[in-house]
Amino acid sequence: MASPPSPPLLEIEGLCVSYATAGGTLRALSGVSFRLQPGEALGLAGESGSGKSTVALALLGLLGPEAALSARRLRFGGRDLLSLSPEERRRLRGGAMAIVFQDPFTALNPSLPVGRQVAEPMVFHRGLAESEALAAAIGLLHQVGIPRPEVVARSYPHQLSGGMQQRALIATALAAEPELLILDEPTTALDVTIEAQILDLLESLRRSRRLSILFISHNLGVIHRLCDSVCILYAGEVCETGPTKAVFRDPAHPYTRGLLASLPRLALGSRKRLSPIPGTLPDLEKPPPGCLFHPRCPYGDKRCGEQSPLLSSPGPERSVRCWKAQEIRGVAWEEAAGGNGRPAARGDEPADQAVAPLVIVRDLRKRYRLGGFWDALVWEKPGGQGWPRPAWEPKFLRALDGVSLAIAAGEVLGLVGESGCGKTTLGRTILRLIDPDGGEIVIDGRAIARAPERELRPVRRAAQIVFQNPDSSLNPRKTVGEIIGRPLERFRIASGAGLRRRVGELLDMVRLAPSYASRYPHQLSGGEKQRVGIARALATSPRFLVCDEAVSALDVSVQAAVLNLLEDLRRELGLAFLFITHDLSVVAHLAHRVMVMYRGGICEEGTIAQVLRPPFHPYTEALLSAVPRIDGERARIRLREEGPAPEFAGRGCRFQGRCPRLLGEICRTVAPPVLEPLPGHRILCHHRLETLAAVASPIADEAPPPGA
Amino acid sequence: MILYTLRRLALIVLLLWVMSVLLFAITQVLPGNVARMILGQFATADAIEAVETKLGLKDPLAVQYGRWFSNLIRGDFGQSLIMERPIGPLLSEALGRSAILACLSFVLVASAGILLGVIAAVRKNRPVDHAVSVFSYLGISVPEFFWGIVFILVFARFLGWLPSAGYSPLDEGLWSWFSRLIGPTLTLTFTLIAHISRLTRSSMLETLRSRYVLAARAKGLPERVILFRHALRNALLPTITVLAIDVGWLFGGIVVVETVFAFPGLGRLVAFAIERRDLPLIQATLLVITAIYCLANLAADLLYAALNPRIRYARRTS
Amino acid sequence: MPAGPPEPGARRRLPGNLLAGAALVLVIAAAALVGPWVAPFPYDEFHIRDRLKAPDAVYWFGTDEYGRDVFSRVLAGSRISLFMGVAATAVSLFCGVALGLTAGFFRGRIDEWLMRLMDLLMSFPPVILGLLILAVTPPSLWKTVLAVGIVYIPAIVRVTRSVTLELAQEEFILAARARGENAGYILFREILPNAWPPIIVEASLRVTFAILLGAALSFLGMGAQPPSSDWGLMISEARSYLDQAWWMAVFPGLVMCLTVVGINLLGDGLREWLDPRLRHGGA
Ligand code: SF4
Ligand code: SF4
Repeated sequence: MASPPSPPLLEIEGLCVSYATAGGTLRALSGVSFRLQPGEALGLAGESGSGKSTVALALLGLLGPEAALSARRLRFGGRDLLSLSPEERRRLRGGAMAIVFQDPFTALNPSLPVGRQVAEPMVFHRGLAESEALAAAIGLLHQVGIPRPEVVARSYPHQLSGGMQQRALIATALAAEPELLILDEPTTALDVTIEAQILDLLESLRRSRRLSILFISHNLGVIHRLCDSVCILYAGEVCETGPTKAVFRDPAHPYTRGLLASLPRLALGSRKRLSPIPGTLPDLEKPPPGCLFHPRCPYGDKRCGEQSPLLSSPGPERSVRCWKAQEIRGVAWEEAAGGNGRPAARGDEPADQAVAPLVIVRDLRKRYRLGGFWDALVWEKPGGQGWPRPAWEPKFLRALDGVSLAIAAGEVLGLVGESGCGKTTLGRTILRLIDPDGGEIVIDGRAIARAPERELRPVRRAAQIVFQNPDSSLNPRKTVGEIIGRPLERFRIASGAGLRRRVGELLDMVRLAPSYASRYPHQLSGGEKQRVGIARALATSPRFLVCDEAVSALDVSVQAAVLNLLEDLRRELGLAFLFITHDLSVVAHLAHRVMVMYRGGICEEGTIAQVLRPPFHPYTEALLSAVPRIDGERARIRLREEGPAPEFAGRGCRFQGRCPRLLGEICRTVAPPVLEPLPGHRILCHHRLETLAAVASPIADEAPPPGA
Repeated sequence: MILYTLRRLALIVLLLWVMSVLLFAITQVLPGNVARMILGQFATADAIEAVETKLGLKDPLAVQYGRWFSNLIRGDFGQSLIMERPIGPLLSEALGRSAILACLSFVLVASAGILLGVIAAVRKNRPVDHAVSVFSYLGISVPEFFWGIVFILVFARFLGWLPSAGYSPLDEGLWSWFSRLIGPTLTLTFTLIAHISRLTRSSMLETLRSRYVLAARAKGLPERVILFRHALRNALLPTITVLAIDVGWLFGGIVVVETVFAFPGLGRLVAFAIERRDLPLIQATLLVITAIYCLANLAADLLYAALNPRIRYARRTS
Repeated sequence: MPAGPPEPGARRRLPGNLLAGAALVLVIAAAALVGPWVAPFPYDEFHIRDRLKAPDAVYWFGTDEYGRDVFSRVLAGSRISLFMGVAATAVSLFCGVALGLTAGFFRGRIDEWLMRLMDLLMSFPPVILGLLILAVTPPSLWKTVLAVGIVYIPAIVRVTRSVTLELAQEEFILAARARGENAGYILFREILPNAWPPIIVEASLRVTFAILLGAALSFLGMGAQPPSSDWGLMISEARSYLDQAWWMAVFPGLVMCLTVVGINLLGDGLREWLDPRLRHGGA
C-alpha cells in the first residue's frame, strides 16, 4: 500500500481467546496478529471453525463473560482497547467501529420499523433528536440504494427482501460514520446476483467515504473481489497474510494452497480434478503439538510435528507461518498431495444420446396456493356497483411451470437457479416426494407421474436422493450402520451377515472406514455425514441420483473431496445425476449439461461449454457475471432486485421483472420463443440470436493456472 | 384487523353454541332422575311423574333443547333446581364478586410476574434470580387450597390481622370489604405468578441471546435501551399467549380459593352446582365461564397482533 | 428407548436439580412402596382417646378428629397421589402422543379437526372440566384418574404435534419417503425416537399438575372419598379443625409440596439435560 507509513487504524498482536469447557480449555484464537491501515480493506478468510467471527466480536468487546481474552496489543485509532472502560467500549461500538452481521433477517429486530433501527446510532452516538435522526436515516437508506426510502423506513423487516434487509443493516452501520466497518459474512445468506449488488455497494461506499474495512468471509472469490490484502486463518491461527493478488497468485502456506486447489473454477478449460485437503480441523481442546496444520499437511515433516512454526516473510508485505515456506515454492499442492492432477470428468462422455434416456420429464407442473383459505377471499362489486360480494380467488405460486428434461445414464445434468426458483421442488417431484399437478415422469422406462405408491417400489429402488443439510439428513438416533442398512432391508437386498458386509462395502465406496458403522451421526464431521448420506442413497444400487445442493453446506476443502467422490461414483457405476445447486462453479466443474431455472421455468439449457459461452440468455449472463471469482472477471451485469411484486402471472417472459436487456412490451405479453443456436442449446428469449451472441463473455475461457 | 376480529368473534359464537349443545347433552347423560333428585330419595312415583311433566322432561330431546336454548338467547337461564330461584340474578351477583377478585389477581399476576421474570433474566444466576426461582417453585408446587389454609392459619389465626373468611358488601365499610379480598387475591396471585415469571424469564433470556440483540449491542446502545426497546417487546409475545391460558387457570383457582375462603362468588356457585347436580345452574355457570375465557383469548390474540408486526401486516404484503 | 443420549463421548454433567429432584422423588416413591409396612399405625385406625393430639413422640404428625395418626395417613396418601399423578399422565400420554403424531404427520383435514377439538377441550378451565367429568357419575379414584388424564390430553397433543411437524420437515424423513417407507415405519421408527425428549419433559411436568389437580378435586369433594387418606381430602377435612389442630392440614400439605417440588426439579433438570442446543455438541 502507501509508502508514507501512516499509523495503522487497527493493530492486533497476539490475540488469544479461550473458553473453559468441561474437558479443559478450548483455544478459539491463539496469537492472532494483523494490522489494518486507514482506508484499507482487509479480508479475513477461513473455513468454519477458524475463529474469524471471534476476532470481530473480540474487537467489539462483545464476547461475553465466558470468554477469556488476552493480547499483547489491541489498538484502534491509537487507543488501547484493553484499557478502556466498558462504557468507553460501548461508545466505540456502533460509533467509530461498526459491524454488519451475516444473516440480515435475524440481525434486525422484527418488531421495530426499519427506519428507527437505522436511526438509533445517530441518536445515541451523534446526539441527534429522534426526528432528525429519522430524516437522516431516510437519506442513508437512499444512499445504500434502497428505492422509496420513506416507505421502507416505515416498514418492518419481514416486509423487505433479503438484499434490502442487508442494505438497511449497512445503512445502520454507516449511521454513526464509523472509521472501521466490520463485515461478517455479509453476503453469505444472499443469492449470487444480490451478493454482487451488495459488493458493488460496499466498493462504492468504501471509495466515497474512505472507509476502512475488515471483511470476514469463507468465500475467497468475494475477498478477492473486494480486499486489498488478506489474512488466512486456520484453527485460530494466522497462517498467511499479504496483498490479496499476490497471495492468491502465489500462495506460500500449504493451507492456502490446499484451499485454492480445492476450489472448483468457473472458467472453461481450467477444469481438472480437485485436490482436497485431507482430514479435518484439529480438536481445539486438545490441539496437536507443533504446527496446527501438520496432521493434514502433505509437505510436513518431523520438525513440523514438534515445534510450532514461526512467521517468516516470503515477499514484500507478506508473512507466512510455515517452516518450509521457502523449500516448497514450486512444489504444487497437487503434486505434494499425491493427486496427479488427472484431467477432469469430461474425458469419458456419457452414453450416447441416441440411446433412450434414463430419465425423461415432460411438461411437469406444480403450483401452490399462497396463503390460507381466508387470504383467498376477496370482496368485489360485480360490475363495479351494488353490494360487494365475497369471491374465492386464491393466488398461486407456480413452482414448476412446464419443465421438461432428459438425462442419459452416466450423465450429470446440472440445474442452477437462485433460491425460490423451484429447483428443489423439481428434484423432489421427479422422485414423487411431491405429487405433480400435471406432466409426465418416466424413470427407467416406467411412467410414474400418477402411479400409486405401491407401484413405485422398483423406481424407489432405482432412483435415490442426496440432501443438502448433513445435520438434518441422518436420523440422530440411529447408527450409521442402521442408516445405511435400512434400504438393504427394506428392498430385501441383504440381511444378517450379508447386510453387514454390504454396509462395509458401501462405507468403503464413500471412503469411510468400516468402524464407522457403529457410530452415531453426531460423532461425524459434516463431510463424513454427507458421505453417509451418499452411501445410504447408493445402498439400493440406484441408476439415478438427485443431488439437492449436496455440497453447498460444506467447507471448500471438504466439498472438493465430496465432488471428487461423486465424480468417481458416476464413472464406476454409470450413474445418472440431476445435480441441483446455486453454485455455478460447482456445476461447471461437474456437469455435462446445464439447465438454468428461473421462477419455475427453464430459460436456458445446453452442454456446459454451450451455456458458458455466448450467446447467453440474459439471466445466465447476469448470473455468470455476478459470481465472485479469484481468476479475473470482465463485464458486469447487475440485476434489479425484485420487490415483493406480484408473482409472475403466466404472461410473457418469466424474467421480465428483472431483465437487464428487456425489449419492451413484447416481453410482458408474449411468451418468448425458443432459440437454438446449436443442437441441444436452447435459449428462451425475444432477442435475436445475433444480439445475444454479440455480448462479451463475463468469464475468461482460459484461466491463468493458479498456484504458480 | 377489523375483519380478523369479526372472524374471531364469529368463531366464539360458534364455539359457545357447540358448548350449549354439549352441556345439554351432558345433562342427558347424567344418571339419576332429575325429578328424583329434586324431590329426594323417598318421593312417590306420582310426585315424580308430576314434576317431570311440569319441567317438560317428557318432551323429545330436540324440543327440550330448543326450549332451553331459546330461553337462553333471551337471557333467561331458567330456575335453579336446588335453590329454587331464578339463575339470572344469582349468577350476576356471584359474577360481580368474582370479577373483582379475578381482576385484582390478574393485574397483580401480569404486572408482578413480568417484572420478576425480567429481573431474574437480567440478573441471571445472581442471588435475585435464585430468589425468584425458589419463589416460583413454591408457587407452582403448592396447590391454592393449601396456600389458602396456610394464609388463614398465619394471618387470621396466629396473627389475627385479617378476618379468616367470608365476604362483606362494600356498604359495610371499605376495610371490612377489602380485608376479605386480600386472602383470596394473594392466594390466587401467588400460584399463577410463578407461571408467568418463569416464562418471562426464559423468553427474555432467549431474546437476549438473539442475533438482533447482539446487533443492538454492536450499535453501542445503552443497556436500558437494549432491554426495553429491543428485548422486552419481543420477549413478551409468548407471555401474552400464556396469560390468556392463565385466565382459565384463574377460574379453576377461583373455584378452589372461594371454597377455602368461603367467598360467595362464581367459583363457589359452580362447585355448589356440580356437587348438588343442579343442572340448569351447571349449564348456566359453565356457559358464562367459557364465554369469558374465549373473550380473554380473543383479547390476548389482538394484543399479540398489536405487538407483533409480522401478524399485523401479514395480509398487506403477501 | 429412553431419552438419555446413549453414545460414548457425549457425557455431560448431570444438572444439580436433576439429581436433587430424582433423590426427592425416589424417597417419596420408596415411602409409597413400603409405607404400609413401616407406618406406625394403620392409616384408618381410630384412637378415640387420642383425638386431635398435637405432634409428639408417638404421633409424629399429631392425630385427627378420630384420633387417627396423621403421619401414617400421610404415608398412605403418598400412594394415592403418586398413583394419581402417574396413572393420569399415562392416560394423557397415551392418547396425546397418538393424536399428536397423527395430527402432525398427516396434517390437512385430520389435523384441523383434531386441533379444533383440542381447543374446545382447552376452553374449559382444568378444574371445572375435571369437576364436570366427575359430576356425571359418582366419584371414585379411577374416575378421577381418567378425568385428570383427559384434562391434560391437549397439552401433550400440542407438544407432540409440534415436534412431529418439525421432524417431518427433516431430510431423513424425506429420505425414508424416497425409499417408499410406509407411514407406520416413519412415525414409529424415525419420528417417535426423536420426539421423546420433549414429550418426556412435558409429561414429567404434567405429573405434578395431575397430582395437584387430583388433590384439588378431592379437596372439593369430587375425588377420593372418606375414609381415604388422599392428601387433598385430608386437607379438606382439616378445614373444620383449623383452630384446634393446624397439624392436620399442614403436614399433608408440606409433604405434597415436597413431592411436587421434587418432580418439578426432575422435569426441569431433564429439560436442561436434553436441551436440543446441547444435543449436537458431542462431535
Ligand atoms: S510447518 Fe510443516 S506442517 Fe505446518 S504448514 Fe508448514 S510444512 Fe505444513
Ligand atoms: S424475453 Fe425479454 S425479458 Fe425475457 S429474457 Fe429476453 S429480453 Fe429479457
